Amino acid sequence: MSEEAVKSETPYVLRCFVNGKEESIHTTPAARLLTIVRDELSLTGTKRSCEIGRCGACMVLIDGNAVNSCLTMAYQCSEKQITTIEGLAVQGMDPIQQAFLEEGGFQCGYCTPGMIISVKALLDENPDPTDDEISEALSGNICRCTGYGGIWRAVKRAAEGRRQTT
Amino acid sequence: MGMNIQEAMASPLVWHPQTAAEAWQLKQTYGTEGIYTSGGTLLRTQWESGISAIPRHLIDLSTIRGLNDLRIGEAGLVVGGQTSLQSCRSNTLLSRHFPMVSEAIRTIAAPSVRHLATIGGNVASSIGDSIAALLGYDAEVIWFDGTTENRTLLSEWLPEASAAKRGNERLLLSMLLPFEISLEETSVKHDDKDLTMQMKRFGAYHKIGRREAFTPSVVTACMNGVLTHNSVIKQIRIALGGGQTVPVRLEKLEKEINGAAVDGHLLRHVYERIIELFEPREDLFASAAYRKSTAANLIVAELWKAAKGETKPL
Repeated sequence: MSEEAVKSETPYVLRCFVNGKEESIHTTPAARLLTIVRDELSLTGTKRSCEIGRCGACMVLIDGNAVNSCLTMAYQCSEKQITTIEGLAVQGMDPIQQAFLEEGGFQCGYCTPGMIISVKALLDENPDPTDDEISEALSGNICRCTGYGGIWRAVKRAAEGRRQTT
Repeated sequence: MGMNIQEAMASPLVWHPQTAAEAWQLKQTYGTEGIYTSGGTLLRTQWESGISAIPRHLIDLSTIRGLNDLRIGEAGLVVGGQTSLQSCRSNTLLSRHFPMVSEAIRTIAAPSVRHLATIGGNVASSIGDSIAALLGYDAEVIWFDGTTENRTLLSEWLPEASAAKRGNERLLLSMLLPFEISLEETSVKHDDKDLTMQMKRFGAYHKIGRREAFTPSVVTACMNGVLTHNSVIKQIRIALGGGQTVPVRLEKLEKEINGAAVDGHLLRHVYERIIELFEPREDLFASAAYRKSTAANLIVAELWKAAKGETKPL
C-alpha cells in the first residue's frame, strides 16, 4: 500500500464549520452527525426520530444541501459548512420560518425544523419551484399531524416572498 | 441523550484510499472485518436495524480520484461510481440520453438521502432501484480485480457480484451507458432506409412500492425498444427487479418476441412468460406471485401503449 492511504483514527477530531463557527469536535469517525449536533453542540433544534433517514426530522444543510444527519458520519463532514435550524435564525427569523408561522405549517412542531431546512435548500437552489419540484424536495420529510395543507401553503408563501424581494 | 447502542460500540477505523489499488489492498488486508463504503446510507440503516454489525474497518471509496462525475467516453456515458444519486438526478446528459435512469433515481428515497448515496453503492448492493433502468440500456460496469480494470455487461456482473464471496473480490468503479444507435443507423443495418421514418423508440420505467413516495420497491420494471409503424418489435430489452430481488434481463422472452407484431396474442404470451421466467424474492409484505403479476401487468400495459402510440418517444 502506498503512503497516501490515510485513516481516520479513533478518537477523531472533526474540524468543520457549524452555523458559521469553526469547530473542533472530539468524537469518533463514524459517529452520527445527529449525535454530534445535539449532544456535543447542544443544538437540539435538530430532532431525533426515525434514525434511518426516512422522516427528515434531523435534516441539516451540508454545504447548502439538505442531508439527513442521522445517516451522515463524522468523517463525511470534515471541512464542511453545516447549518442547523438554529443557524437560520441568527439574524432574526428566516422568512421561511415566518411563512410557516403565518400559514399554520405546523401542529406539534416536531417535524418543522427539518421541513424548514428542506425548504431552505429547495428555494436557495430553485427560487420558483413547480408543484412537482416542491413535492420531490419535501418527499423526505414526514409530518404526522398537520395533513400537509399548511406546509404546502407555507412553501408557496415563502417562494412568493422571495420572488417579491428579488 | 447519549449515543445509541451502535455508537456506544467501538467505532470503526475509516480508511481513505486514494486509488482503487489501495482500496483493494485494504480489503485484502482486513477481509470480512473491512467493508467498502461510499455514501454509507444503506450500511447505516442496516446497522441501525441490526441487520448487520458495524465492521472494524470502513474503506471509504469517496476519496478515490476520478470516480465522482459523469463524462462522455469513447463508448458512451461514463458514470463514476462515487457520483451522488442527486448529482446523477440533476445531470442533463443523463436525463437527455438515458431518461429512464434519471426517472429511476428520482424514485430512490428523497433528495436528502440522494445527496449522500451514490450510484455505485446502489449498483453494488445488487438490489438498488437504478439497476433495472441501467439494464434497460444494456449498461456495462467497470470494476477492479486487484490487478486490472475490467469491463463487463451489468447483466453478467450482477449474478457474480451478488454472491457474497465473489462480491468481496470485485471493486465497482464506474458504469458505462452506451449511447443508443440512431434509428437511421438501425435502418441501414436492416438495409431498409424507408424504415427510418417509420420506426420509433419506446421505453418505460416503473417502480411499484408500498407507498406513493419514498418507499422501498416491491417491483421495478424497465422496457426499452424499437417498434415499426405496424407495431413489429425490432429491438427490445425487458428488465425486472424490486425488493430483495437481484434484477434480471428476460433475454429468453426478448428473443421470442423480437420480430413479432404486438397484438392480443403476443401480449398474452408476454404476460404468461413473465410469470414463468421472473423469479422474485418474496417477503412479509408481498408474495412472489404478487410481484410476478405486477411485473407482467406493467410490461404488457407499456407494450400495448407503445403499439397504440401512447408512450412518449425516447
